Amino acid sequence: MMAYAYSLILLFTIIICFIASFDKRILFNHHFGAFVKSAILVAVPFIAWDVWFTATGVWWFNTDYTLGIVLAGLPLEEWLFFICIPFSCVFTYFCFDKFFKLDWLLGFNNIIVFVSVIICSVIALLHDDKIYTLVTAIVTITTLIYLHFIARADWIGKASLVFTILMLGFIPVNGVLTGTGLETPIVNYNPEGFLGIRILTIPIEDAVYGYTQFLLVLYFFKRFKHTRDENER
Amino acid sequence: MEGATWIIHKYVMHGFLWVLHKDHHDHSNEGVLEKNDYFFVLFAIPTIALMYFGSLKDFNYLFYIGLGIMLYGMVYFFVHDIFIHQRIKFLTKAKSPYFLALRRAHKQHHKHIGKEDGECFGFLFVPFSYFKMYFNSAKK
Repeated sequence: MMAYAYSLILLFTIIICFIASFDKRILFNHHFGAFVKSAILVAVPFIAWDVWFTATGVWWFNTDYTLGIVLAGLPLEEWLFFICIPFSCVFTYFCFDKFFKLDWLLGFNNIIVFVSVIICSVIALLHDDKIYTLVTAIVTITTLIYLHFIARADWIGKASLVFTILMLGFIPVNGVLTGTGLETPIVNYNPEGFLGIRILTIPIEDAVYGYTQFLLVLYFFKRFKHTRDENER
Repeated sequence: MEGATWIIHKYVMHGFLWVLHKDHHDHSNEGVLEKNDYFFVLFAIPTIALMYFGSLKDFNYLFYIGLGIMLYGMVYFFVHDIFIHQRIKFLTKAKSPYFLALRRAHKQHHKHIGKEDGECFGFLFVPFSYFKMYFNSAKK
């Protein structure tokens, strides 16, 4: 039973969203192609980052909780993580965007980018010896600057609100992965690699990492979805 | 901070860095990036530096100056994006003479497209005539 822990977490993460995708009021299934393309595109650098950090011992996986298939140092479940987690996140965003008028949140884009860039920069400068903290901060700063100033994404405020709501799912899922309610964590972190600030058992860096991953998948999803919508016209 | 904003806006943005601020007034930018956005970076870098060096010195006054700039920046965006430009349909019916005066003065500043002939460079504090305009009518 224990060996199924990680795969069950992933299953519970996506199952409701997956079934609901086919609901005729939602029809997220029409966008599965755009989603898969964007998730894979973002997974490439994120998996490379994961392989690098696993190889250097910044974090590691307790394979007692996994099926035992390991590729490039990562359990199969960890590979699927990069499809399943973004799936639920993008699905949630898609629904909120569809059922609520949230465009007014663009009034917060400047504040969010300004404050996040400052905080991430100060933290990165102060903790440049902690590799997880440093890399997460740099990736987040780069992503926000790219999306706000170059891609001119007007949905950063909207995505940030949805991500805040997604914390309701993020905390139980990442909580269990990092050891809440388990004897030993599934994912273990080298205490030298991060700040040591945890939400339950979740390192704060994980939340920022998740935010950036979400923003990037959403960015490509919107682009691919737009192309598809254009072609249909 | 308000004083610094006034000085920077009048003598830097409408002074030697007008080249960056120009497209905010005449919308002449062609690329994706409005040159005026560079000011975001120009304000963020000293804030980051102050907060960083202040933290290294056991959170001395430098950190708090940086924090102050960041908070002013937040107020700036809040008032500018949300109230003045009405990006959010919130406070649209505000009757506060103070807010009405701010909005009016900001509009007046944008009436001028050139570098030299500007007025109303402040942001949270604008010339008395604007306050008078609304405070007097509020009394009636």
